[in-house]
Amino acid sequence: MTRTLQTTRDDYLIAGFAALAITIHIAESALPSPLPGIKPGLANVVTLVVLCRYGWRMAAWVSLLRVLVGSILIGTFLSPTFFLSAAGALASVAMLGLLFALSRALPGWAVGPMGYGVAAALAHMSGQFWVAYAVFVPHSGLLTLYPLLMTLATVLGIVSGLLTHTILARLNSAPSNGNPV
Amino acid sequence: MNGVKLSRGDAVVWLLTATLLMSLYMMFWQADGHGAEAVVLVNGKRWARLDLFQNQDLDVPGPLGHSHIQVRDGQVRFVNSPCPNQLCVHTGWLSQGGEVAICLPNRVSLQILGSDPRFDAINF
Repeated sequence: MTRTLQTTRDDYLIAGFAALAITIHIAESALPSPLPGIKPGLANVVTLVVLCRYGWRMAAWVSLLRVLVGSILIGTFLSPTFFLSAAGALASVAMLGLLFALSRALPGWAVGPMGYGVAAALAHMSGQFWVAYAVFVPHSGLLTLYPLLMTLATVLGIVSGLLTHTILARLNSAPSNGNPV
Repeated sequence: MNGVKLSRGDAVVWLLTATLLMSLYMMFWQADGHGAEAVVLVNGKRWARLDLFQNQDLDVPGPLGHSHIQVRDGQVRFVNSPCPNQLCVHTGWLSQGGEVAICLPNRVSLQILGSDPRFDAINF
């Protein structure tokens, strides 16, 4: 029996961007990190670019697919790393959704890449921190780290905002060949 | 990186971020387990409860005589005690939750109360 799956242009875009994000995610996981949970978050730049160009729904797909498929490929699926990563991604997607909706409602106060980058990084860090605190290391000593981690997340968020801004500028100035990818 | 412009929305997000970070540092880095109260025990029974931010001097009566305890600006110590080895005096100022100074010969002990004691238990 053959069943034809109806695909839309958005599906292809999501698949393409998710593949890009997964590639960056895996490359990043090979980088040494001084602390678990600290990563440059370059894969998140893809999410931000998709958010600014195609909206929140597609960005959410790209972000969550990245965490799921990335963890399966790296081999951390359903391990503590995966839950931390998923909590962070969910929190940042929720935060981006909130800001995106607010930007729609109040166009005069619309948030751009710089705001999205910082907010996403902070939400991501908070999400994984509180899951780590609640589930894995419920010790009050961990709380001392929280302000430091959030400061780091802010800096990394600014960097990813800058990268997003640059990529968007290049994409917007590139000659269009009729294909939005 | 040319021409990065912060929109008004970005500025609001950054302002909120700065506020959040400052309050996080205040919340998690200022409360460092510093105790606010201490108890004085004589013969194992509570003799007094001290507010560490109310400066005072106490003479605590024990079997050997009076132990002199001093409270100054969030710290407390034995100034002198009628005991032979003066261990309690040499313990010095106490300020962290859970810290103790004990004058065993005179049966007087001093302990800082804290929600987050620095030590779980102490053995001698």
